[in-house]
Amino acid sequence: MITVHNLKKTFRVHQGGLLRGSSVVMEAVKDVSFSVERGEIVGYLGPNGAGKSTTIKVLTGLLVPDSGRVEVGGLVPWKDRRAHVARLGAVFGQRTTLWWDLPVHESLELLRHIYRVPEPRFRQNLRDFTELLELGPFLNTPARALSLGQRMRADLAAALLHDPELLFLDEPTVGLDVVAKERIREFIRHINATREVTVLLTTHDLGDVERLARRVMIIDHGSLLYDGALASLQARYGSARELVVDFEFTPIDPQVPGLTLLGAEGPRVRYGFTGAAAAPIARVTAHAPVRDITVKEPEIEATIRRIYEGGLLRDGII
Amino acid sequence: MRAALKPTPRPSSPRLNAPLYASVARLGFRRQFAYPQAALWGLITNLFFGVLRISVLVALFGSKPQVAGYTVQDAITYTGLTQAFIMALSLFGWTDFMRTVHRGEVASDLLRPHNLLAFWAAQDAGRAVGQFVLRGLPMLALFALIWGATFPAGFTGWLLTTLSLLLAWACGFAFRFLVNCAAFWSPDAVGFGRFAWAVLGLGSGFLMPLAFFPQWFQGVLAFTPFPSMMNTTVEIWLGVTTGPEAWAGLAVQFGWALLLSGVAAFVLSRGLRRLEVAGG
Repeated sequence: MITVHNLKKTFRVHQGGLLRGSSVVMEAVKDVSFSVERGEIVGYLGPNGAGKSTTIKVLTGLLVPDSGRVEVGGLVPWKDRRAHVARLGAVFGQRTTLWWDLPVHESLELLRHIYRVPEPRFRQNLRDFTELLELGPFLNTPARALSLGQRMRADLAAALLHDPELLFLDEPTVGLDVVAKERIREFIRHINATREVTVLLTTHDLGDVERLARRVMIIDHGSLLYDGALASLQARYGSARELVVDFEFTPIDPQVPGLTLLGAEGPRVRYGFTGAAAAPIARVTAHAPVRDITVKEPEIEATIRRIYEGGLLRDGII
Repeated sequence: MRAALKPTPRPSSPRLNAPLYASVARLGFRRQFAYPQAALWGLITNLFFGVLRISVLVALFGSKPQVAGYTVQDAITYTGLTQAFIMALSLFGWTDFMRTVHRGEVASDLLRPHNLLAFWAAQDAGRAVGQFVLRGLPMLALFALIWGATFPAGFTGWLLTTLSLLLAWACGFAFRFLVNCAAFWSPDAVGFGRFAWAVLGLGSGFLMPLAFFPQWFQGVLAFTPFPSMMNTTVEIWLGVTTGPEAWAGLAVQFGWALLLSGVAAFVLSRGLRRLEVAGG
């Protein structure tokens, strides 16, 4: 569906005043290559300014790269933009693509004309999305009067009415409460499964990624740092699992052979370990009388943060 | 649900998407009626300034029966017309497109398979008709009732006037869009716009009928598209220009509309190209 080969994009950034200014060349994307298969959901992560949106703009045909080969569904995005964008859908969590003063259904109707969606197909999609996203109560409300959650649902419907093959989601759940987030994720999973829509998801919300994407790409400073399964990222770069032990009494020596001592606070002691939990638990219980034990899994959030901060993967793609 | 999936014809064909532009124009029209109170106060303001302008013009006439081919009655009708056209022809300027460029919203527009210029033209056409109905017609009715403003003479007069008004909108829209395209190059396109709208007000005959200006200045203006953006229409309405002269006026308007639209399309494509290379 998407092939990107040696993509490079630089910007000339003007500094200083009108007359005496100088410009510096900034490399937004250095040498990025990847491909995405039809029907995949890929999470595209990176801190602000890492090169995420530059990549997306190239893929949507809004930017022409300096060099590199890009093909989306057999087309070069910026060369045949009208034909290319006809097959895309896009949702930007930060801003709506609906006409702000039009009732939602009129925006959708306008999109039907823009994409020349046949009437029966439009009716069916609208029925499906109205049911799945519960659009009914606000189809007649102007976009400006919608709550954030309603707006996001309306935007999702708007992005999918023309049966796009590829969907770009940029922060699709930003600012939403837990229930609303979950509903949106459920919907994305559903359309991915039933309609084989390929999804490229850029987000800072790792909850989105964990719930939706099996594969992640991490970009920073214009280069891809990681491209692979989310699970193996966690296995390789996640911090150790943690054993939180409440002893009956504050142990005189909390050190247990074979376990890393992470911290001790009265009778509560935290140990780090890798692998299965059975052996470490046995060791701890042999060490002193125990009242309670919990196993804490490392958070993906922490892993990603460590990757950004420590440049864990800076040496290259695995 | 997969079974229900049928291939959708892809909307990439360059064929004009008439249903789209028709509904865009319809929505542009309807949108004007969303704020009736604003329209009412706008009308009152336009009327107030209309009275002011009539007083100045009538004072200018003094005891003269005619100035530059205009009778006092013509001058009053001229004032009514120009006040009626303010909104429909956006004589005070228009920065909607500029704003979408500065805010980066133009990027979402580019993600849709439509012709950006045609889309905006359709929207503005709907807006213009809406404003003409909402603010133009009541203004003309008031001027006719209170000061006896006159209407075009006979069928030919109405036909010529209507055509000329449509062409005036087309010229004006292309010019306004062109000015808005400055936003692709400058974050301060609003400032440039202010100058452009001042020129528009002067050159289109909004400030003063062009016939009142010195001969040499009229000569200069004749080489610009500005008279085509309103003055031609007003003179045809008044009957100051008639017959073959009026048709020639329409031909000039048509020529300018084509040329300006072409230039606007070209400049827009350059602007978008710049956006593609330099980013938004």
